[in-house]
Amino acid sequence: MPRTERPVRKIRLWDPLLRGFHWLLAVSVIAAWCLGRFGPDKMTLHFWCGYVVTGLLIFRLIWGFVGPAPARFSSFLRGPGAVADYARGMFLREPSHWPGHNPLGALSVIAMLAALAAQVSSGLISDPDDYINVGPLASYVSAATRSKAVGWHETGANVILVLVLLHLAVILFYRFWKREDLVGPMLTGEKAIRDRDGH
Amino acid sequence: MRHLTTAVALAAFSLTVPLTAQAQDEGPIQQVIEARHGFFTMLSRNMGVLAGMAKGDIAYDEAAATTAAANIEALTHYDLPGLFIEGSDSQTASADDSAAKPEIWQNMDDFRTKFQGLAEAASGASEAVKGGQESVGPVVGKLGQACKACHDDYREKS
Ligand code: HEC
Ligand code: HEM
Repeated sequence: MPRTERPVRKIRLWDPLLRGFHWLLAVSVIAAWCLGRFGPDKMTLHFWCGYVVTGLLIFRLIWGFVGPAPARFSSFLRGPGAVADYARGMFLREPSHWPGHNPLGALSVIAMLAALAAQVSSGLISDPDDYINVGPLASYVSAATRSKAVGWHETGANVILVLVLLHLAVILFYRFWKREDLVGPMLTGEKAIRDRDGH
Repeated sequence: MRHLTTAVALAAFSLTVPLTAQAQDEGPIQQVIEARHGFFTMLSRNMGVLAGMAKGDIAYDEAAATTAAANIEALTHYDLPGLFIEGSDSQTASADDSAAKPEIWQNMDDFRTKFQGLAEAASGASEAVKGGQESVGPVVGKLGQACKACHDDYREKS
């Protein structure tokens, strides 16, 4: 059935916990990133931001299985066919009205969550040889690993920077090219959507 | 006569050995890199004692703390920047084991200042760690910040 035949309607898409998660994650990741690269030599605050991110990631993992439908991994993780279909319509100058994470955006969601999980893991086992900023789990891995982890953590920080900039660029692309506001729904929970097959 | 020949041969041999060895892997570049690593390992061992006491992993012992702090002070009087000779950076092919960023050579003055920063953090440390476990933490904090300040700019992350 052609998409245009279905009416656009407003629904409560994102639940309050998911929205809280999103904005807390944004703040704590930006804070952790800036404190890591530009913050004081004694990195206590950086560590605390990292622990907050860790807690949020654990919440998101659980919520991805037991949360409301739009939050569930099973509702937005789709096969390559669905991704390709969506990508084909991506540059149309019209809102997607997608009810949740679209198949392509879902990949970016997973990439960000995975990169952050890797980042907190490398941080927790890092030993940068300064005797003041040693990750709390560094003593549980080999000396070679805790030293390499510092390098992984630096690479991971660059990967996260790229993913976050991409995330922001795509939001601007939706706002100004596709004329669809994605930020509002993440603030209020309400989004104009169009029902589609399988949803 | 036999002895003389042997002696001459040995002398000739002993002259060539260091030369060939030097040409292979005991050249001055390899030497300073090894010396640096030894230097940092000594710093680390003593920092390990102090950090262990600060955290309570090692029981506080005033004599051991004073020795470790005095060792660090003494090490900061060594001319460490002198071990960073041209060609011993991490990018130069012959310097495989080096984690010294090429930026050191572009900012030698700042690199020296960073080492001076460690010397300042270390000065008086052997007195400062006396008097009980709670006096060790602040010393480790000061020293550690000086380690990090230099590593951030001049040490390659592995
Ligand atoms: C003036 C700059 C500077 C300061 C200060 C400094 N470091 Fe380093 N550190 C380096 C550089 C450069 C390297 C890489 C050397 C190399 O690989 O040749 C390094 C390497 C190391 C290594 C690895 C050595 C190896 O075997 O590969 C350790 C451990 C270390 N530093 C510990 C410390 C500790 C502990 C402190 C503070 C007490 C400290 N450093 C202070 C510049 C510094
Ligand atoms: C979202 C989570 C995190 C982000 C975005 C992040 C980001 C960063 C960044 C940008 C740096 C500077 C890297 C560089 O330029 O060299 C850094 C350094 C560091 N981070 Fe994190 N970090 C996170 C979590 C953690 C956690 C959970 C820990 C451990 C508890 C940790 C421990 C460290 C340590 C020890 C360093 C210093 C490495 C060094 O001295 O070279 N980080 N982090």
